[in-house]
Amino acid sequence: MRECLKLIALLILLPIGLVAGEHDARIRAVLDHHILPGFQHLSEEAEDLSNSAAQCSTDKEGVKAAYHDAFDAWIQVSHLRFGPSETGDRAFALAYWPDSKGFTPKTLTSLLNSADPIVQDPEAFSTLSIAGRGFYALEFLLYDERLSMLGDPAYRCALIAAIAGDIDANVAAIRNDWETGYAASLSQPGGDSPYRSEAEAAQELFKALLTGLEFTAETRLGRPLGTFDRPRPRRAEVWRSERSLSHVRLSLASLRDLAALLAEGYPSTAETLDRAFAKAIDRADTLDDPIFAGVVDPKGRIKVEALQQQVNNIRALAESDLGPRLGVAAGFNSLDGD
Amino acid sequence: MPSRRAFLAGMMASGLCPTSGWADLGAPCYLSAARNPDGQFALYGLSDVGELLFQLPLPDRGHAAAAHPFRAEAVGFARRPGRFAIVLDCRTGERLATLNAPAGRHFYGHGAFSADGKILLTTENDYEAGEGRISLWDAANGYTRLGSFPSGGVGPHDMRLMPNGETLVIANGGIETHPDSGRTKLNIPVMQPNLTYLDLQGRVLEVVELDRALHKNSIRHLSVRKDGLVAFAMQWQGSLSEHPPLLGLHRRGQKPVLAQSKPDQHAQTMGYAGSVAFSEDGTRVAFTSPRGGVLHVFDADTGAFLRDHTLEDVCGLAHGPGGFSATSGTGQIVHVTQDTVRTQATWEFQWDNHLIPVQNGYV
Repeated sequence: MRECLKLIALLILLPIGLVAGEHDARIRAVLDHHILPGFQHLSEEAEDLSNSAAQCSTDKEGVKAAYHDAFDAWIQVSHLRFGPSETGDRAFALAYWPDSKGFTPKTLTSLLNSADPIVQDPEAFSTLSIAGRGFYALEFLLYDERLSMLGDPAYRCALIAAIAGDIDANVAAIRNDWETGYAASLSQPGGDSPYRSEAEAAQELFKALLTGLEFTAETRLGRPLGTFDRPRPRRAEVWRSERSLSHVRLSLASLRDLAALLAEGYPSTAETLDRAFAKAIDRADTLDDPIFAGVVDPKGRIKVEALQQQVNNIRALAESDLGPRLGVAAGFNSLDGD
Repeated sequence: MPSRRAFLAGMMASGLCPTSGWADLGAPCYLSAARNPDGQFALYGLSDVGELLFQLPLPDRGHAAAAHPFRAEAVGFARRPGRFAIVLDCRTGERLATLNAPAGRHFYGHGAFSADGKILLTTENDYEAGEGRISLWDAANGYTRLGSFPSGGVGPHDMRLMPNGETLVIANGGIETHPDSGRTKLNIPVMQPNLTYLDLQGRVLEVVELDRALHKNSIRHLSVRKDGLVAFAMQWQGSLSEHPPLLGLHRRGQKPVLAQSKPDQHAQTMGYAGSVAFSEDGTRVAFTSPRGGVLHVFDADTGAFLRDHTLEDVCGLAHGPGGFSATSGTGQIVHVTQDTVRTQATWEFQWDNHLIPVQNGYV
């Protein structure tokens, strides 16, 4: 009898659950367990980084440690490139990479050579080319053989402090926008929200998942792989500070969380995706090649290619299994994008 | 009801299907690339009612195609970032020539013939420089490469010959990619798409850019009306919370007119337009959005939104009987008239992005 009542209750609730509010809990869960804590953590680390950088001339190692912690926190939210991250190209000002034309070292060289006083004025600094700002610029100043020695040491420290301060301000603005408005826009579509429906909001989150997977497979792994005839190990992401593989691992772990939250309520999809993530993460954990230097020899290369294949498998599964659940077509043309 | 033969004769007289070298093949109206059920790829010739007139294998996934203006020759282009284009004799299936992108370049999947059929032009990526190029190939002499000139921007995609036969219009999508990182977009924050008009020597005649607020709206596909009105379809690279127009209309020397779908309909597109075409009588213009499974129709002169139609995974679009012909990744070939979408044929092939009129596409 009780089972029967349960069933009736389910039948009454089900249609409502499937129409309005189908994705409501999903979106709130992503906000509460992924987006908001992610940016909160990042803003705390960015503040530490800014404080450490102010002590640059006496404690270089302290700056480096804070750089690693804050960069870790950024990679964990770097796939969330919409809304507050996109406003004023904030995400790009935090993370200008890949830099195929070498704008970052060029911009930094010119600042260091001229001892440009822009570093004393945070507001002016926030208008500097995005290539001269953010984590990737900081890496050059802390780890590049040439740039970490170029120009006057006191000026170099002032530049490091300016970049760290700019990162902190930028991250604080992103966090503030999320907490004071955008989270509500995403979870309450319609009305004043830029999202017209729950489906549109869920699709934005799904797109972030796919974008993150694509970036890891094609850029973080694809750029150093290059081609068999011409591998490009020096195109690995932040190899100077030996973070290349670490970024792959951090992003996969974070995307696994997002995928699980998006697949909540679809047990078989959730399980399939989680298994695919586990395989890729396992491969990354056992890959003994922190900066993908091994891509130049066939044995090392095949391991990085295998990892890339695992990430591509996750992408394919997300597109074929999860996308349609969230109202994203998985057709021959709709997936093509050209 | 008129007999099929009479109907076809009528179509040919109206100029929808060509009568010259192509007539031996049953006068195909359209070319389309597809994936076959066995996973192989091919280029197909189709009649106006979706009959298969020929099938020619392709070594990998195709994208768009170009039809020679009077010889029964078709060029099948590789999907980006492919390096091949294959010239096929559509009567025998013989491969007449293989175009290989030069070192450091790949094709974008589109191309056009000169009016006299002597030159084939292709859009290419010079990927180390991150610059678009247009290459010229000698269609009168075995398709040897003649040279190239800048496309006027980054990421040139679709390209059409204007009705005067002397001007090219190019959709420079603005997005930099490099084959080492697949199809990842490398320059979204600084992308700057444009519509560029060049003469056949590569001299820039006019460049059209949209407002800075729309710099993430990648201008990707084109259709040209016989009076020179150019329709361009766009793909939005920003957030889904923004809803910029996906269609523009441009006349040389004037400001572009942007055509916005109604809000609810727009939301279905996910900011992505796949193909664009004018209707058979030129009064309407439409784009397809495979991501939304929709086709949006507008007034070609005012840009006013008229209505939407739904069709799963629709993408290929061209002028057709009573309005438009469209194809889908589910194998359908449909006619879209004022009020209806009518299936003409359903094949087991997945039709790829574009449906290319064999006769020069001006309506």
